[in-house]
Amino acid sequence: MGTMGLALPWEHRIPPVPRDRERRLEPFRDPASQAGLDPAAEAAKAEDSALAAACQAGDLRAYEQLFAQQGTRMKNLARNLLGNPLDAEDAVQETFLKIQRSISGFRGQSSFVTWTFRILVNTCHDARRKRTRKKEVAHEDLAVGDAPPVEPRAPGSHPSLKMALERALTELTQHQRNVFLLYEVEGFKHSQIASMLEITEAASKNTLFQAKKNLREMLEPPRSINATSA
Amino acid sequence: MNVTCGDRDSIFEDGTTAQWAALEAHAANCVACAEEVRAWKALSVAAAELRDYSPSPALWSRIETALAANAVPGHEPSLRDRISVWLGFSLSWQLAAVSAFAVLLLVSGGLIYRHQTLTPTQKQPVNSAQQDPLLKTKALDDVEKAETAYVQAIDKLATDAKPQFDKPETPLMANYREKLQVLDSAIDDLRAQAGQNPSNAHLRYQLLAMYQEKERTLQDVLEAKR
Repeated sequence: MGTMGLALPWEHRIPPVPRDRERRLEPFRDPASQAGLDPAAEAAKAEDSALAAACQAGDLRAYEQLFAQQGTRMKNLARNLLGNPLDAEDAVQETFLKIQRSISGFRGQSSFVTWTFRILVNTCHDARRKRTRKKEVAHEDLAVGDAPPVEPRAPGSHPSLKMALERALTELTQHQRNVFLLYEVEGFKHSQIASMLEITEAASKNTLFQAKKNLREMLEPPRSINATSA
Repeated sequence: MNVTCGDRDSIFEDGTTAQWAALEAHAANCVACAEEVRAWKALSVAAAELRDYSPSPALWSRIETALAANAVPGHEPSLRDRISVWLGFSLSWQLAAVSAFAVLLLVSGGLIYRHQTLTPTQKQPVNSAQQDPLLKTKALDDVEKAETAYVQAIDKLATDAKPQFDKPETPLMANYREKLQVLDSAIDDLRAQAGQNPSNAHLRYQLLAMYQEKERTLQDVLEAKR
């Protein structure tokens, strides 16, 4: 039986996916993109607009609400982009300050949450660029951006599934990593990702395809090992 | 809908629900496609490992403090705010700030110690003034007194040399007179600047150099007379 083992110890192997399983996991509901489809989406869009308006009015409780709704997701994305939780918290804080400074310029072309994540992604990229310029400790760079190529290893000598995937992600281009994390991890739709990264929806789909293709090649164990374990 | 192995990548990239169903039907009889479909879906499942949505209550406190400080121009944070902001910084930043403060303390302490251990001869006004760009009040009084006495002595020399300049008998004497006029003009400018900024030691030294040059020139004139 030939299965893609993702080059992981058997206990970390990914279980076969049921054929009737939904392709998306915990899809993120975007109020703007779902508007007009159903009353719940309309209500969500109205809530999103109200939140943006309250933030524009300088209401700190609105920011707290935004944090309550999206804070953990924002920190998770920042951690996956920056490689460690401390930098991720700094990036989330900086993002909120940027939102506060530029909220007057928000015109509602996209949903408020999508706009927020666009700022977060840009903030993370700025943080990475600064870190690269400062040439901080080498292991940080290895962990985040310039890790050595991921070599397929024999079963039993592999790190955990999470670590393997994190290392493989560092081998992707920045664009591929962004799209993969936003779509597969955070559950955004291609239309939202396109808005965040200022690309077309088709480009988002193609970038995700390339990212997954590269990850599959990096994580697939050698055929001989695969055959042995089968 | 019939699909072949060649349709697989396009369906992976942007397949409709119907196309996916057709691909899975095809994969039931195709080992290669079955493996690829399973692997493709497995990546999505593996991505769940990168989700860590544990709450961060301390993070909101940091953000709230920063937002509040940012919202009100001129807002002076309370001691509690300052402490919570300090605690909100990452450990590396806290260590860096403490280290910088320690270095500052060491350097300041060293300078104070060095200043206190200077010998009396090293504390002579001229030497200290050379090292210190700003004159202290007492040093300034001393300099001004010395300058007044110096100017009076030079004026005395100038009085002696005056007849030579009134009727210069040689081109050399005419040159001396022009030189002295230039020096007097420069001295006037420097005195005006020193008057506006009396503690500036650098101006005082420039002025002293001009007086010395004037003194030497007058002595040369008197020597030439003999």
